[in-house]
Amino acid sequence: MILAAEAAGAGSRALTMTLFLVLVAATLGITIWASRRTKTATDFYAGGRGFSGVQNGLAIGGDYMSAASFLGIAGMIALFGYDGFLYSIGFLVAWLVALLLVAELLRNSGRFTMADVVSYRMRQRPVRTAAAFSTITVSIFYLLAQMVGAGALIALLLGIQDGETFLGLTADQAKIVTIVLVGILMIVYVTFGGMKGTTWVQIVKAVLLMTGAGLLSVLVLAAYGFNFGALLEDAARASGQEGTRFLEPGLRYGVEVAGDPLATLWSKLDLISLGIALVLGTAGLPHILIRFYTVPNSRAARTSVNWAIGLIGTFYLLTLVLGFGAAALVGREAILAQDAAGNAAAPQLAEEVGQSLGGDALGAVMLALIASVAFATILAVVAGLTLASSSSIAHDFYAQVVRRGKATDKEEVRVARLSALGIGAVSIVLAVFAQGLNVAFLVALAFAVAASANLPALLLSLFWKRFNTAGAVAGIYGGLVSAVGLVFFSPVVSGKVDPETGNSLSLFPAGVDFAWFPLENPGLVSIPVGFLCAVVGTLLSKERDPDKHAELEVRALTGAGAH
Amino acid sequence: MTTASRGSPEHGGSPEADFARRSVAMHSDPRFVELRRRLRVFVFPMSAAFLAWYLLYVLMSAYARDVMSIVLFGHVNVALLFGLLQFVTTFGIAILYARYAGRRLDPLAEQIHDELDAGSAAAPAAAPAADRTGAGDEKGAGA
Repeated sequence: MILAAEAAGAGSRALTMTLFLVLVAATLGITIWASRRTKTATDFYAGGRGFSGVQNGLAIGGDYMSAASFLGIAGMIALFGYDGFLYSIGFLVAWLVALLLVAELLRNSGRFTMADVVSYRMRQRPVRTAAAFSTITVSIFYLLAQMVGAGALIALLLGIQDGETFLGLTADQAKIVTIVLVGILMIVYVTFGGMKGTTWVQIVKAVLLMTGAGLLSVLVLAAYGFNFGALLEDAARASGQEGTRFLEPGLRYGVEVAGDPLATLWSKLDLISLGIALVLGTAGLPHILIRFYTVPNSRAARTSVNWAIGLIGTFYLLTLVLGFGAAALVGREAILAQDAAGNAAAPQLAEEVGQSLGGDALGAVMLALIASVAFATILAVVAGLTLASSSSIAHDFYAQVVRRGKATDKEEVRVARLSALGIGAVSIVLAVFAQGLNVAFLVALAFAVAASANLPALLLSLFWKRFNTAGAVAGIYGGLVSAVGLVFFSPVVSGKVDPETGNSLSLFPAGVDFAWFPLENPGLVSIPVGFLCAVVGTLLSKERDPDKHAELEVRALTGAGAH
Repeated sequence: MTTASRGSPEHGGSPEADFARRSVAMHSDPRFVELRRRLRVFVFPMSAAFLAWYLLYVLMSAYARDVMSIVLFGHVNVALLFGLLQFVTTFGIAILYARYAGRRLDPLAEQIHDELDAGSAAAPAAAPAADRTGAGDEKGAGA
């Protein structure tokens, strides 16, 4: 079964395009509505702090569940079985760090950005510069992964094969057009709609995603008489793996390399490294942190995290059904034929389930529906990332570093809007250049940088009295440089070659090899380095300010004087 | 304002400086000390527990594959059950924390918050007087 199956393919394409256009029109409508209600800096950065806990919980879900979650995890489970589930678990458990240690304290003591809290009792300029730097790095990595993914995905979902054209575009041209369009849309959402527009786009997306994934899961389970065991059995059999190997860990991560104990060791350490970065990264992602400022108080922040946990947890349980369902009903061969990383597994499953229920017509409808859900997912996530980085440029870098705290709110918002334009333009250009490269590793890298650079500074500023400017600056740069540096010298950038085909599995082409760091995920080393730099930097400096610490702690725990 | 530059609270009777002074005083208030104890006594052990539980899961996925592949019932093996249990504990801890915070943290935090912010509401009116006399600051801070 190939997506662009002749007649049904054409019908599906027309329907998919129509649904895309409806989605774009609806989100632009929301943006116009929101732009009329965005006047102050608080409106722009924090949606006027007027969202309820439930609304923000939905928006967090919309901000967090990227196309990498929806299509990537379902595809990974479809191809590698149990190991795809490891991602889901790390992504979910991570929310407890946000709930217990970060969300409420941040909401109480900050205004618009992560740096508001980290720099609270420190010298503003060095800390804000460092925080803005790491915020932009994390956001751009994540943004690039989403945009390059969007290009590939849309070409795939519209069923444009290599050598084929659609509206006069070849597959490569369609990818570039998609990247540019997604980039323009995210710039429009953020510059005009600010946080209000972005939040509503994310809420709409969360509802669509849950509905789509829920509906598809029910249909898959119904095909097995709601017997999950039967689904597992069928998936294991269809996987081509020996016995029940497909249902056990080890096909993708922590692979046992026969006769090579060193390779096995690195592979297992890599699994642990990934696990740690996933669980500690979430609470350091700037686009997630700024969401806590959109609610009126810390109790609403708590409610929103709890809703997000419920939503995200349910969603990842559904991806288990979708992934195993795709393995069983679509089959490995067909999934690989469409996309080597399995990103088309969920849409292929939708088409297959629809076809078996109501023939080609229903198959086309289901495919179009799931494709538009994926499109909505991409739009909501890129908007959140653009907003997070432009907020940090305007509020941290421009207002505090360039203007030394003398910028008016109006000036800040103008700079934030211009920054969104700039970030958007830079991302479009980078994504177009990176379009042919394997950039899937950028999502895991964004989590690793967030966990290594942002989380130590954030936690220590909230919980360690002695923490100071030198510590924050050393921690942020130390974590950032070690995470990015180690990845640069790892097999994801150079030196990894497919043993059968000889093709490069790295960013650089085969033949280039300057990798010396054996792990693909830097977290196992870079997170301890981030914490260590923060502690050593602190102790080497004499600066301490017990009064300012007392003030921050009282604010953070009680919400007194909160914005 | 969080953006106030360092060291500025020392001079002048601005509402911000007054608020900062009262916050510092509140920091050693027995009610605040109790609030901080109640928060930490829950979140620190709970964070250590869920991180250890998660790490055990990751380590077993890497090194205890024999155990993870034991089939329990139907086609559900230890690995799948362990993964699903991570979901159960995450949901469980979130619910427990919400209940604990609502019962043990919110009432106390609200009391302190109201007291500090009530002082701030009065401050703008008091500020001009404080500017003139200068010495009035200390009394205002005790309110």
